[in-house]
Amino acid sequence: MLLVNETPSVNPKDVCYHCGESIPRTTLISVEIDGEYRPMCCPGCAAVAELITSSGLDGFYRQRSAYNERPRQPDATTATQYLVYDDPELAATFTRRDEEGLINASILLGGINCAACTWLIEQSMSAIPGVKRALVQLQQARLDIQFAPQQCLLSDIFTQLDRLGYQPRPFQSSTARQQATFERRAALRRLAVAGLGMMQVGMFAIALHAGDIQGIEANYQALLRWVSLPVASFVVWYSARPFFITAWRHLRQGSLVMDLPVALAIGLAFLASVWATVSGSGQVYFDSVVMFTFLLLLARFLERNAREREQFAWLDAENSLPSAVTVQRNGQWVTVPRMQLQVAETILVNAGETVPVDARVIQGSSAVREDMFNGEHVPRAVGINDVVYAGTLNAEQSLTAQVLVDYRDSRLAALQRSIVQAQTHKPRLAALADRIASWFIAGILLVTALTALVWLQIAPEQALWVALSVLVISCPCALALATPAALTGAATALRARGVIVRGENALEALSRATHLVFDKTGTLTEGTLTLSEVVPLGNEARHDVLAVAAALQRYSTHPAARTFATFEAATDFEHVEYQVGAGVEGLRANDTYRIGSEAFCRELAPDFPSPPDTIRYWIGLCREGVPLAWIALDDRVRPEAAEVIGNARELGLKLALLTGDSSDQGPALAKSLGIEEIHTAQTPQQKMAWVKALQAGGAVVVMVGDGLNDAPVLGIADASFAVAGATDLARSQADFVISGGDLHQLIATVIKARDCRRVIRQNFGWALGYNLCAIPLAACGLIPPWAAAIGMSLSSLLVVANSLRLHR
Amino acid sequence: MDSLYLLIPIALIFCVIAIKLLLWAISSGQYDDLDKEAWRILAEDEPEKTPNATRDTPASRDDPQHD
Repeated sequence: MLLVNETPSVNPKDVCYHCGESIPRTTLISVEIDGEYRPMCCPGCAAVAELITSSGLDGFYRQRSAYNERPRQPDATTATQYLVYDDPELAATFTRRDEEGLINASILLGGINCAACTWLIEQSMSAIPGVKRALVQLQQARLDIQFAPQQCLLSDIFTQLDRLGYQPRPFQSSTARQQATFERRAALRRLAVAGLGMMQVGMFAIALHAGDIQGIEANYQALLRWVSLPVASFVVWYSARPFFITAWRHLRQGSLVMDLPVALAIGLAFLASVWATVSGSGQVYFDSVVMFTFLLLLARFLERNAREREQFAWLDAENSLPSAVTVQRNGQWVTVPRMQLQVAETILVNAGETVPVDARVIQGSSAVREDMFNGEHVPRAVGINDVVYAGTLNAEQSLTAQVLVDYRDSRLAALQRSIVQAQTHKPRLAALADRIASWFIAGILLVTALTALVWLQIAPEQALWVALSVLVISCPCALALATPAALTGAATALRARGVIVRGENALEALSRATHLVFDKTGTLTEGTLTLSEVVPLGNEARHDVLAVAAALQRYSTHPAARTFATFEAATDFEHVEYQVGAGVEGLRANDTYRIGSEAFCRELAPDFPSPPDTIRYWIGLCREGVPLAWIALDDRVRPEAAEVIGNARELGLKLALLTGDSSDQGPALAKSLGIEEIHTAQTPQQKMAWVKALQAGGAVVVMVGDGLNDAPVLGIADASFAVAGATDLARSQADFVISGGDLHQLIATVIKARDCRRVIRQNFGWALGYNLCAIPLAACGLIPPWAAAIGMSLSSLLVVANSLRLHR
Repeated sequence: MDSLYLLIPIALIFCVIAIKLLLWAISSGQYDDLDKEAWRILAEDEPEKTPNATRDTPASRDDPQHD
């Protein structure tokens, strides 16, 4: 049985079993999975879930570690849009035919969340007749598939992936992506060499340390030293090289970074050990050198892994554009790949499709949803000579338009570029570790030099070895591990809660945040239209009005119509007809009903009044000659908003709301939630100036937005959040992206950032405290090399263990 | 104890072979996706297949795909 009370914040009965989104009140869709009926939020999720269970792949749901992405509503284009990939010319750009006549294709997948997805995809791809091999790479979100072209088509594979709820695209290998793979493999190679070397040298070192304690014959000691030498040399040359390179590069620029003490410790300890081996005197530190290299490389590799996991290859605005476009060529409408579009060609954008490119309307009128640019969920009406932009959604009616520019010059591409720019211009706080490194290394070098000087007076023959033991024992391993280990731990823990961490540096800023600024009201509202008000114009009861509206809206494809899906619909309608761009008309008991725009209703009921003045999305409803009601749709405040605002205040954060909207909606919202500071009618420039002024006053500003159209403002904030529904993930750019849109995670992230900061401080405290105790002992010549090696490893392990606490 | 003079070099030769193998495996892309392999070992058995779908076992599917 399900333990419903186990997680009090989210009742699993209320969320879709497939995608985790909340379920509309009156929707009753469920799919039998694992012998129980699981609720589904929409037919799209149900279709995917049914497909998965009917293929015998229920195991997927038991194994996955994150909810799936909500699939797009299937529309008319789903079946045909992938047919373009059967065009050999286009297919050649991402496929390759091998000697046996099989086709090898690489496909980029949107919506992959966890390893279970890779299993699901591999299993269901292998079930397609003709597919020889399917292999998913989670890191790159890439599917490599091999199939016989006689038995199945590329479009079959794309369609099947789409039916599973993923968004397939041809994988175009870019230089950046190849570079990332290359660097990752290089890091792994260095790590592997250091690990194997550590085991070998460690074995010899145990014998040497044991020999130091209970005595060892000189010839065996020499043997063990001489065999350690080549192994350690190879590790230093192959694995530790990046430390030397980085340290040297920064030193030439006059800056002291963490890699400098690391390189010094490795280099000096190695050289001294070589000298000891050759001269047959003193101590060897080969094991410390190699272990140190391995631990540091391991920490950096894990950090890199955690960071890269968030940089999905499909996080690109261009990927939200359709791959196939209907274009007029030689007087005929043909479907071509979007990449082949030429400027000045005429394209057709059907209702419900995404506009593929910036274009000027030459025929038809419709409304486009431009929430990608302005966060506005109410569509903008467009007619002849208006410009529609790539990435916006054509909501109502087919448009014929002329292509204005290439994708690269489109508004969407410009927006993407401004995001990248904003991110690079962001004032980055110097990493704490590097700041500490500056004086730490100076201190170490000073102490080492002093020790050597003093011992030169007392016992010159021992001076080198004592000075060296100071350097090894003060080995900055723990210090170098302190930050990456904690940041990786925090990022992993946040990921499990649905918060994607893009900029780990921002965790530090977030922990010191003083101001929490909400950019536009959209971040505090649900972002979908919901019913807010019914203004009756006749005698009908509210309930009947809604039943009629719901019945008629079933036949509409307009985005507003989805709002009505949750209401019980009157059943006795016939001859219902959807008139694109106007509304719906239907017949009931010999009366004609209409729902839709003002003009549309007025045709049937000439005395239909104008809508009330409040800025809302108004829909008219009338019967032949009789106005019935105005129905207002609105973007509702998120239910958890008030609680989150309260929690933020308890954490000592000052709250503010900036909005570009000049209506009184913003102030009303701020007042009801208790936000003190509110600025309306702000242009993006004003917002940026306001944030900069705050920062100049010493404030650390955290900005919450929706991640794309407000990206420049988010970029200058010290830390930024994007609140996004799962399907908007690809477009959201911020330091933290809250997927699933649960504002509670905002507070959870702030708390986690503070925990992370505390753990980093504890780590530094421990590393420094350990050095303060150990260095004087080493300087007095009291620490034998085996104790130095053990002390160093233990202090590193403790730092890692402490950071692991952040996983909870 | 004189056997050390023989055994330790042999151990080193094994170490060199192990490093070579590992570097080759990394270069051929077998370690590109660490998350999935870690998960797959715990995954349940594959579902029953339709007779026409003859497939390799997961182990041999790990063959490098880049040449």
